[in-house]
Amino acid sequence: MDPLLKELTKLERLTTANGKGLSFGHSLDSLLQSLQEAKDDLLAGNCTEERLKQLSQLVESKKKEIDERQKEVYSVLSRLGKALDKKFPIPLPSYSDLFSSTLSVTALERTIALHLLRTGQFDVAEIFLKESRIKISDDLRNQFVDLHQILKALRNQDISPALRWTRSHQSFLQSRNSPLEFYLHRSQYIRLLLSSHPPDPLTAISYANENLRPFYKEHEQEFRRLLACVAYLPLPKLQNSMYRDLALPTLHFDLEPLFAKEYCASLGMSRQVPLRVVGDIGGGGALARIEKGRKVMGDRKGEWTQLDELPIEIPLSSDNRYHSIFACLVSKEQSTELNPPMMMSCGHVISKDSLQKLNKSGGRSKCPYCPVETAVGSALRIHL
Amino acid sequence: MGSKLNLEGIMLFEQPFTRVPYENYRKVFRTSQKNVERELGGVQSASNELVACASTGNLSPEDAIKSIDTMMGKVENLKRKLSDLHETAGKPTQDVMRERLHHLAAVESLQNTNQPEFSRWADTRLDRWLVDWCLRTGKENSARSIAKAKGIETLVDIELFSDISRIENALARHSCAEALAWCSENKTALRKIKSTLEFDLRMQEYIELSRARKTMDAIAYSKKYLISWQDTHLAQIRQLSALLAFEPNTTCGPYKRLYDLSRWKTLAKSFRLEIYNLNTLPTEPLLHLSLYAGLIALKLPACFDHSTKNVDCPVCDGESGTGSQPLGLGKLAGEVPYSHHANSTIVCRISGKIMDEDNMPMAFPDGHVYSREALEDMAARNGGIVTCPRTGTSIPFRELKKVFIS
Repeated sequence: MDPLLKELTKLERLTTANGKGLSFGHSLDSLLQSLQEAKDDLLAGNCTEERLKQLSQLVESKKKEIDERQKEVYSVLSRLGKALDKKFPIPLPSYSDLFSSTLSVTALERTIALHLLRTGQFDVAEIFLKESRIKISDDLRNQFVDLHQILKALRNQDISPALRWTRSHQSFLQSRNSPLEFYLHRSQYIRLLLSSHPPDPLTAISYANENLRPFYKEHEQEFRRLLACVAYLPLPKLQNSMYRDLALPTLHFDLEPLFAKEYCASLGMSRQVPLRVVGDIGGGGALARIEKGRKVMGDRKGEWTQLDELPIEIPLSSDNRYHSIFACLVSKEQSTELNPPMMMSCGHVISKDSLQKLNKSGGRSKCPYCPVETAVGSALRIHL
Repeated sequence: MGSKLNLEGIMLFEQPFTRVPYENYRKVFRTSQKNVERELGGVQSASNELVACASTGNLSPEDAIKSIDTMMGKVENLKRKLSDLHETAGKPTQDVMRERLHHLAAVESLQNTNQPEFSRWADTRLDRWLVDWCLRTGKENSARSIAKAKGIETLVDIELFSDISRIENALARHSCAEALAWCSENKTALRKIKSTLEFDLRMQEYIELSRARKTMDAIAYSKKYLISWQDTHLAQIRQLSALLAFEPNTTCGPYKRLYDLSRWKTLAKSFRLEIYNLNTLPTEPLLHLSLYAGLIALKLPACFDHSTKNVDCPVCDGESGTGSQPLGLGKLAGEVPYSHHANSTIVCRISGKIMDEDNMPMAFPDGHVYSREALEDMAARNGGIVTCPRTGTSIPFRELKKVFIS
């Protein structure tokens, strides 16, 4: 961005009223002054042709001055334009009629409405719902209002609304092995521990006894650390001990995203905001990759959109992998319901088709990776 | 986790972001140039005239003083206009440009997508895309409220789009005046891209005269506005001349088509294309382009199979419980191709983590596979017994089998 900012600074300097050098104001003021002087001369009766010629020349030269100035602005402006062209050499592609069917429009409007609600922008969501005539049930809406009230309380160090929610969703959280409730109590325990001056751990310890101990089985290690850290009070000492992580503010701040994640999961919603995830992938290299691929492989306008599968691979970061993909290294094909991955007795996995192709007489296949032979019938279909 | 920032991919989307204020500033500059030419040109010719009069000897001092007063008025006027222009248009546009360049510089200084600064930047980017989407789909109130709530008014082009809708509304009322004014404001730029929008608008005004059977007016109009296009549009001008001989209710094909009212809609569409073109705005909303590419990258057959859906996958559509039809992004994904993968990636259905040599896949005897880490964790909490979450089968950890997915 630096070359662009430099050109912009030049433009700004050239056009500010009180900038250095000659500005419009200066040239016009001095022209005005000369006109006034000429007028005064005329009023004094000094109206010679010579005097008027002088004035005319002066007008000429001032006009030239201002024209020069305009030219200068123009040239800085076109340099800025060239710098922009250089920085952004490729225009965005156009795909005609993307997502334009009524059903797609409704789907996108719904996604945006949920996005606004989920991110707590209730006023904006209200206006959006009115303009798009999308219906979101009051029930779902209230769920998000509830979520944001709990998050706000957490921000204000009040864990009780969050705890009320975890208690009413205990079996759901247990099925997910969620540490949420334990972490809520942990945060409260540490606060109690660090808030007393001079250190009086008794309140905290009795809190732990009551609220943390039920989690002893799942969080044995952490439970021990939490109680052992009492020996390292006060805070400055704790911060220099092996328990310094317990003194970090993230221990409390991280509750918000964790709670939002569990809450959304209970509504059947993803842990990340879907529009952000897809938008970040598309706007973080995927579109550029597709465009490059189209150029290299000579796609005629829009043909790729009709394809069943993209001919090139778009790299994804590991946190954007949501499904297992098995690509057989023998046949180079992705597995399907009809051609599933099969594990041979040696533990190596190939696709069912490949396994059958490797079948020698006697119904045995030799593993392509190791010397072990497997009876075709005893290979195990695996579910990833 | 997170990954390295792909700046090239990010910047692909940002050409219009910087181009719109740049084009705006060029317009400001053209206006200032016009003012300079008009006012100073006037002063110049007035002073030349004074000299001419004086040399022939018939110049009264009163006239001279009057003339100088007019000149001073013009200069004062120019001075005021230029400073107004700078204050109300020039300076604000420069500020918008600066702010946008800084916004892009901020992301250039980052390295990794897991930095919190990137997350904030991407939040703002999504808000910009949402505003763009709302503006293009006629939801101006939503656009304004998002921009205001997020304080990103300088990062979105609300004014440009309200200009567009003003001119389009005029075309819907069958008035070309606003669109023609826009054409003359952007004359040079339109000529550069060989736009025929102005001719199309002139043609429409002519057709309307003919429809109203104002034949003489139509001929005068043609002389004034159409003839100048004869080098490139002679055939059309001829056809238009012949149009006068046809009543608006004619059944003769080519002339019936000229009288067709749907031409107004076509005009509105081509106006929109031209104004997008001048500002390097894509014809599709930016949100559509990013979703298109993002969905292609993610879409897998597994997203549409009930047994393999993952609630965290944006394509799988979180509301799967409400019916078999996807309602959100999954519906949009139906319009794009599946992603392509040459290598295996095995994601643990318990922990969501990717399995590799350090976190081997382990199989239950019935073939269900999970990551070693997740199963070890489960065994540690259940006295060495692991249970398959999909089938409920329970076995001791040691009976699991290592799987080699090369």
